Amino acid sequence: MAVLAALAAAVAAVPGPPLPPAPAAQGRAEISAALTDTNVQVKSDFRGARIVLYGAVFDAAARPSDVVVLVRGPEQPVRLTRKTKVAGLWLNSRPVVFRGAPGFYRAASNRPLDDIANFGTLRRLGAGVDHLPINAPAEQHIETRYGVRDVVVSSLGPDYYDWRRAVVRLKEKSGLYHEDGRGVRFVDRGLFRAEIALPTGAPTGDYRADILLFQDGKPVSAKTRTLTVEKVGVERALYVWAHDRPWSYGLAAMAFALAAGWAASAAFRRD
Amino acid sequence: MDIYLPIAEVAVNAPLIVLLGAVVGFISGMFGIGGGFLMTPMLVFLGIPAPVAVASMANHVAASSMSSVIAYSRRRAVDLRMGAVLAAGGVVGAFAGVELFRWLRLLGQADLVVSVSYLLFLGVIGGLMLMESLGAILRRRRNEPPPPRRDRRPVWLYGLPLKMRFPRSRLYISVIPPLALGAFVGVLSAIMGVGGGFILVPAMVYVLRMPAGMVVGTSLLQIIITTGLTGVLQAGRNQTVDIVLATLLLVGGIVGAQFGARASSRFRAEELRAILALIVLLVGLRMGLGLFLAPEEPFVLMSGMG
Repeated sequence: MAVLAALAAAVAAVPGPPLPPAPAAQGRAEISAALTDTNVQVKSDFRGARIVLYGAVFDAAARPSDVVVLVRGPEQPVRLTRKTKVAGLWLNSRPVVFRGAPGFYRAASNRPLDDIANFGTLRRLGAGVDHLPINAPAEQHIETRYGVRDVVVSSLGPDYYDWRRAVVRLKEKSGLYHEDGRGVRFVDRGLFRAEIALPTGAPTGDYRADILLFQDGKPVSAKTRTLTVEKVGVERALYVWAHDRPWSYGLAAMAFALAAGWAASAAFRRD
Repeated sequence: MDIYLPIAEVAVNAPLIVLLGAVVGFISGMFGIGGGFLMTPMLVFLGIPAPVAVASMANHVAASSMSSVIAYSRRRAVDLRMGAVLAAGGVVGAFAGVELFRWLRLLGQADLVVSVSYLLFLGVIGGLMLMESLGAILRRRRNEPPPPRRDRRPVWLYGLPLKMRFPRSRLYISVIPPLALGAFVGVLSAIMGVGGGFILVPAMVYVLRMPAGMVVGTSLLQIIITTGLTGVLQAGRNQTVDIVLATLLLVGGIVGAQFGARASSRFRAEELRAILALIVLLVGLRMGLGLFLAPEEPFVLMSGMG
């Protein structure tokens, strides 16, 4: 019976970064956190933003604690192509769409993630760039192999992991993904802070920060905070106009360009 | 002074973009071309996504062509009828080109087609122009007379049906060649983010045999109509026109174009052509280089989902 209950708990815990089954014991550890800024405004002078997350670990027993902060931006499908040599020329392969890649991802912890928890736990929580649930569903099909049913096979074949790693590598290069094993600093007993740096290319939308407390390799407490990145003012008006009424935007932009050209020739007229 | 571009979603250095617009505008005014072939690769090099660079360029080229065409029309150096026929072809070409570009982006082959078009068209035209202008410079140095101009018009131009009179250009030819030329340039304008003057001008001189005085003004008229349509279509279909980027470019561009037009009178025509040919050739080779060199990073993220 106990095995069945544990199994049921494990199944229930699969979707989303979960709260572990709460031990009813007295003096259980708790984590608490807040963001200095929950709304980032993208204006014409936007050059990225730094947001400070601070929090505290409440644990009467003062057991050794690890803190992991995971920040995810809105999911964006990624289209990726690979340069291949065809008849001496470097050409693009067919593009592959990867899903499950957040537009922004930051994992910060007080020591490297691999030292905090084991592979299975990190994978289940999506903690760390190697554990993001990125896959290419359009390339996958399920078949029976060697008598084993429901085997997921990717048409990318053995190169699949090269492709998957490339998604992370390219996002890291543009500053959108980052894993920092020293990103959470304890500033005092139980008191910690972490900095989240949003680059200029950070996508707009709702972000979610999961703050997890690990003890003995297990997540024992979690908090979720949300953060919004949005365009405001002229930038927002232009963006909305260009996407909601693209034809009137196009006509107005062109009319403006032609008028400017005409005005310039009138202003510089010398004859 | 950095400024965030709302559609491209990148921050750029505003004075640098205005300066780039001014330099390209200067070259454009000096040689009577749109300058898109130079500007689009530069913008991509500065980190602006290629679809946004290609689409926003159409607005910039239309503005700078507008500022010069008025001067030409005052001198009665625009053949309106020929411009209208070219533009009719250009309209068809622009529609086809925007759809083609959309389809190529979905296939992931837009980069390839852009690189090959640059290498092919700029390479061939730059090479031909360089040879022709160097020949002219050498002949002048040796005090040889210029070779007699072959004024025989190609027979096929006269054998085709649907003839039309173009009084300003003193031509009586079939409308099919100008229509086809206009359509071809319309497709290029959508794919390469260029006005197409570098193809249109030689084709009007050597194929249609238009009088030299009419060529630049008429080609500018065709470019305005084609790029004007391309700009609206790119905004409507692909949502890739960044009005802030286009404005920064055209502020520099229209000022630069006026100074360029004045500077051009200080050089001889064949020297100007030789310089332009070198620029065209270098840009074409640079764009094509990526096809032959092994990339540092074999994987490429593609912008936009089409």
